[in-house]
Amino acid sequence: MIDIQEKLKEIGPYVEAADDDVLVCRCEEVTKGEIRQAVHAGMFTMEEIRRYLRSGMGLCQGQTCGKLVKGIVARELKVSPLEIEPATSRAPMRPTEMRIMAQDGGGANE
Amino acid sequence: MIKRYDLIVVGAGPAGLSAAIEAAKNGLKPIVFDENAKPGGQLFKQIHKFFGSKEHKAKIRGFNIGDELLREASENGVEVVLNATVIGLYDGKEVTVKIGEEILHYKGDSVLIATGASENMVTFKGWTTPGVIGAGAAQTMMNLHHIKPGNKVLMLGSGNVGLVVSYQLMQAGCEVVALVDAAPRIGGYGVHAAKIARCGVPFYLSHTIVEVTGAEAVNGVTIAKLDENFKFIEGTEKTFEVDTVCVAVGLSPMSQLLKQAGCEMKDTPGGFVPVCDDSGATSIPGIYAAGDVAGIEEASSAMIEGRMSGARIANYLGYLDEDALQARLAELEQALSSLRKGMFAPENRGKLVTKTEEGIDTSMSLLEKGYVADDEIEKYPGVTKGSGVHPVIECTQNIPCNPCQDACPKGCISIGSNITSLPVVKGDVACIGCGMCVASCSGQAIFLVEDDIGDGYGTVTLPYEFLPLPEVGQKGIALGRDGKEVCKAEVINVRSSTAFDHTHLLTMKVSTDMVMKARFFKAE
Amino acid sequence: MERIQTHPILGDSPKGKLVSFTYDGQVLQGIEGEPISAALRVAGVMTHRYTKKRHEPRGVFCAIGRCTDCVMVVNGMPNIRTCITPLEEGMDVRTQYGASDKREEATL
Repeated sequence: MIDIQEKLKEIGPYVEAADDDVLVCRCEEVTKGEIRQAVHAGMFTMEEIRRYLRSGMGLCQGQTCGKLVKGIVARELKVSPLEIEPATSRAPMRPTEMRIMAQDGGGANE
Repeated sequence: MIKRYDLIVVGAGPAGLSAAIEAAKNGLKPIVFDENAKPGGQLFKQIHKFFGSKEHKAKIRGFNIGDELLREASENGVEVVLNATVIGLYDGKEVTVKIGEEILHYKGDSVLIATGASENMVTFKGWTTPGVIGAGAAQTMMNLHHIKPGNKVLMLGSGNVGLVVSYQLMQAGCEVVALVDAAPRIGGYGVHAAKIARCGVPFYLSHTIVEVTGAEAVNGVTIAKLDENFKFIEGTEKTFEVDTVCVAVGLSPMSQLLKQAGCEMKDTPGGFVPVCDDSGATSIPGIYAAGDVAGIEEASSAMIEGRMSGARIANYLGYLDEDALQARLAELEQALSSLRKGMFAPENRGKLVTKTEEGIDTSMSLLEKGYVADDEIEKYPGVTKGSGVHPVIECTQNIPCNPCQDACPKGCISIGSNITSLPVVKGDVACIGCGMCVASCSGQAIFLVEDDIGDGYGTVTLPYEFLPLPEVGQKGIALGRDGKEVCKAEVINVRSSTAFDHTHLLTMKVSTDMVMKARFFKAE
Repeated sequence: MERIQTHPILGDSPKGKLVSFTYDGQVLQGIEGEPISAALRVAGVMTHRYTKKRHEPRGVFCAIGRCTDCVMVVNGMPNIRTCITPLEEGMDVRTQYGASDKREEATL
């Protein structure tokens, strides 16, 4: 278990970077700077970042930015991307309209 | 009502279809769901000839392999449902599928996930501007929908996808202004790099994109050189006027369904993949994974992995006994392991291999500029001199590929039993100049050379896959391996044959002292 | 961008049936069944939508229905992935602003 306060001390304060305004999540328009700041606010997992910034929560469901966000978080935390806890994977895997979700043909226990 | 199947396959690409075919051959009733309007995955966008040997369908173009696979699937009664998006997978081997305006539930006694991969991306200033596209998008537009993705294109990424798509862009009539990669060395096969370098495409290794410009659409791109810490070196910027920037920086497995089902997963440098055995069995009994979703490789390997999973599933459901399974797996395993040999084997990924298996120095020029330098080429065993017409095989890396050795009716070319060995031209056998080797080489690395046809001229025969096809008598310029002008040239023969499968054999006359330098013909 | 008439490997491009559709009210033509985005690219349309927050232009990016950057308002329905939606005669295709076809919504 990571001690968040210890880790925050270790990585030091957020320092502005020249490319902070570059978009990372194209759907929800979340920038690199916002993601970096979120890490310094104590969010170290993909799930927390998603819920806090909505990156990866748009129409494409993180297909494009998932790996990019992970890389930014890892660099900020000075660890390998392999150490970053991945986000939960849940249905629907593709954008699906609510009216279609409502047309569910039935579950396993019927 | 829940419909039940012996096997539910998610993804009708090379792995999924192969698995379904193998399972069906053993008596199972598989159903394959695919979210796309057409089956075949990426095979129908792959218009180049595949590498490998006969068992891997080498020298056959990807889309033709796709046709073969679809035929085999239909012959074996494999049911493929298109426009069917699997949106959920649950551990009871139940899938939810969006078909039309409905969500339907299906249960499988086994489920195989063969969802493939998605493209990685990199960010840079302007990367969201219309006109910046993935390499896959370029392939889709030109090879499926028959439109040019752009007129002037810069390619970012020198892996096989970046190299192959650059070549395809030129075949579609686009101009490729540069191939750029942040890495110091070309990631893909040298032969793929060489065939675009000799057309004059410059390679910028240790470079990346600083900025893409254009308010409503791309109108330019600036690149700069990187230092060893991957920081831009000031003053090295170069700007290109382009309307399209194509990004080919790798693929990641699309493994979300497996994670959702609760399969044990592992994060690797190659992506987030399920933990599975050689035949794709995951930690949940009855759930399997094959192809890129289990780890990025080539379509050739995906097809074999699919077959292995199909056989394994047949055994799991009692359709194939253990002995028969082991025999089949051993056969497939051998085919798979031969594809994983050589300089580009999984264990060599990212490593610099400095010598070939034969002990010859690797061409650094090839790795850094995309072409073997003139003074290096004669070190390789396929490059020999002879009187009369003879093959010159500029194959300098150990890759699993051997169609050239079967192509020669006279037996001039030998690779031997080790599929990654460099081809050797046997000096004692007479070449008849038929050109079968030239057309058979998936890497387009074989040329026929005749040093002296009199009057101080010789000839070079090269593979040509562009339009318009030059005509006999046409005058132009011979380009060297580096794409630079070498000398004047005149087309003296153009051969086309169904046996060559759309690779034309262009013979040009050049001065005798240039026959070992001239490697491409550019019309004047 | 142009259509590829003849390709060195794939040969002559299939000749489909020409249909008319409207793009922001302007009548354009395309081939029936091809993705809407293909017909638009041939007509020189690169921008499919403007984003909600930064009002930036977006166009085709992945071309296989994954990235959703090419979505437009088609026959009144927003968020239609034009790269995988087949073109039909008489389709009403509009630039999407945020999540609608009204420019004001994205600028509010």
